[in-house]
Amino acid sequence: MTPSRSALLGAAIPRWLTEKIWGFEHAFERARASGKAEDDTRLRIFFVLALFALGFFMVAVGATRAVLFSNAVVDAGQGGAAAGARADLVDRNGQMLAASLLHYGLYLDPREIWDNAEMRRALLAVLPDLDPGRLERVLRAGRRTFLVGALTPDERNRIHDYGLPGISFEPEQRRVYPLGTTAAHIIGFVDSGGEGLAGAEAALNEDILTAARAGGAVPLSIDLRVQGALEDELYKAVAEFTPKGAVGLVTDVHTGEVLGMASWPVFDPNKPGAAGDSARMNRAAASVFEMGSTFKAFTVAIGLDAGVATPESTFDARNPYQLGYRTIHDYHAARKVLTLVEVFQHSSNIGTAKLGVAIGPERMGKYFDGLGLTSPAKVELVEGARPLTPKVWNEDAVASTSFGHGINVSPLALARAMGAILNGGNLVPLTVRKLEPDAKVAGSRVMSERTSLQMLSIMRANVTGGSGESANVTGLSVGGKTGTGEKYDPAIRAYNGQKQVSSFAAVFPTSGPANAKRYFVLILLDEPHGTAKSAGYATGGWVAAPAAGRVIERIAPFLGVSRQSEVSEPAAPQGEGQ
Amino acid sequence: MSILSRKVRGFRVLDLIGLGLLVVVVVGVYLAKTLAGGERAEIAAVERQIDVEKARIRLLQAEVAHLERPGRIERLSVVHLGLEPVPAQREATIDQLVGLANAGPPPKAKAPSAVAAMVQDDTVIPGTPPPAPKEDRPVEVAEAER
Repeated sequence: MTPSRSALLGAAIPRWLTEKIWGFEHAFERARASGKAEDDTRLRIFFVLALFALGFFMVAVGATRAVLFSNAVVDAGQGGAAAGARADLVDRNGQMLAASLLHYGLYLDPREIWDNAEMRRALLAVLPDLDPGRLERVLRAGRRTFLVGALTPDERNRIHDYGLPGISFEPEQRRVYPLGTTAAHIIGFVDSGGEGLAGAEAALNEDILTAARAGGAVPLSIDLRVQGALEDELYKAVAEFTPKGAVGLVTDVHTGEVLGMASWPVFDPNKPGAAGDSARMNRAAASVFEMGSTFKAFTVAIGLDAGVATPESTFDARNPYQLGYRTIHDYHAARKVLTLVEVFQHSSNIGTAKLGVAIGPERMGKYFDGLGLTSPAKVELVEGARPLTPKVWNEDAVASTSFGHGINVSPLALARAMGAILNGGNLVPLTVRKLEPDAKVAGSRVMSERTSLQMLSIMRANVTGGSGESANVTGLSVGGKTGTGEKYDPAIRAYNGQKQVSSFAAVFPTSGPANAKRYFVLILLDEPHGTAKSAGYATGGWVAAPAAGRVIERIAPFLGVSRQSEVSEPAAPQGEGQ
Repeated sequence: MSILSRKVRGFRVLDLIGLGLLVVVVVGVYLAKTLAGGERAEIAAVERQIDVEKARIRLLQAEVAHLERPGRIERLSVVHLGLEPVPAQREATIDQLVGLANAGPPPKAKAPSAVAAMVQDDTVIPGTPPPAPKEDRPVEVAEAER
């Protein structure tokens, strides 16, 4: 043994213990030396006996404990979460959105069946949707074979009651979405193995599996009442203006919680394979649009925050604005000198482009980066689409993006950035998880609180006396901005005036301090068609703003936003179909 | 003579006491297991029943959620009861009453309410998503057997 090794052993084994062992080992020699060799033998026998006694005692205690206090039955009864089980998804108020329910798989063993005709009659009576061809194949299989899965306990009991031989059941967990198409895109769905594939099912997959082991549920940020109202009003707008697709969003601007998210066309997550790709696509997260004039809110906010303009600054919109090879016109040409607030109210492209040029490409690019408009929306959903942004931030790009052209972002990215200019200037991540009521969400400051308050006033002015009048709701201090972006048509290699993305980005209430409870609502219709009621127009003010107003009117009580007295303000006309 | 070394019919008393205790323990454990077996079986049956009931409750909860779908409630309340969301003009707090009284009656709606118009319009089913538009390039999807 090397000195170092003995030193190590010495350190590991206490000195007194080594001395005792050596003392015991040398007891025989000592006893023989003292003429009492029998003492040593007795000692050794006693020691061996004591060891055996201790061993038997331990075995006896263990056996008694196993016999008297076994928990085998209790364990078998409780079972715990099965492997791969998923927790329920619930809304922020505990309403069930998705659940794994005990179902049964039905197996047939033809070797034990003595009357095939009776078996056919019984099974088809209980399961009228059963494929007779498959039943015949199973009856001829010659061995125990799976026939059909996802039977409810009731169906199982009814089959069981026939008392037919050759039938057996295997329990299986099946993911069920009791709300059908409601909130389908934000809830998502799972594959046959129980792994999340889309929506919150995919985004919060690990959380759902962990919660299942703890026996809890995973609450999402959505409020089913808000979701219901949002979907209903969106569908009404869709039925009226027959667009190609539509999006509805409601978010809390302070916490970033998504309170409602609707995408049309819809699908049933219980049968995701039955829907096409277009229906399964969550347009709020996975699609990008040229939003049009809703981007003017960003340009105006940036102009105010950068000190380039004040609400009273004036812009000459009497003539089209010539910028390089381009001529910028106004859709609602005012042909006069406009203040910044009027530029916003008239949705003047000329005024906004001039403001954008005054801000400058570098500053505009930095602000857009800060607002998260040049990156995918920060949210848990895996469907988040990358925006299409200008390759180079030059004057031309700035002029285009200032009124929402030349930049494509997802509705979620728009909602996040809008939240930043409406919540006091903090860019917070969006989330589909429910946060605690007083949760403080960390965000990055992108604007001053003063700019945010100014923007709230300007957006309010746009609803009381601008392009968003049809979204006004008495007492709720609604603010907002219309947006109509022409779509690029590859067939004609140019923007097509007949194909538009029409939207309305709303906020309520605009009154109160920067940290007051405040919500953002977006209604977006992709390629809507004008109707006689809308005088043939399919712009944001005609197709999206009224729907946004109705959504706000319906969801305000659920969100605890009380109506303030506005008796002097004229009531918004109802049912005019603007 | 010590009790430890005392013998009865050739057996030490201590051994007999030990044997007696062993027999008592074995019989005691046997009886305890036998008597408890019935109770345990009953408990297991009750546990199984609880599990079945829990599964049924979850199924019923899912059924309730299915029946209380916002769209379904919307459709039933609009079509059968003619209910509609309360407009802002019909809601006021006590503090607002004086101001409302001074302001006079609100202006009349120029057109039927959105809900009334919807009920008259056969093309709109309240609370029900309109059918998806035709896809330019529909994707064929095979559906797995249930």
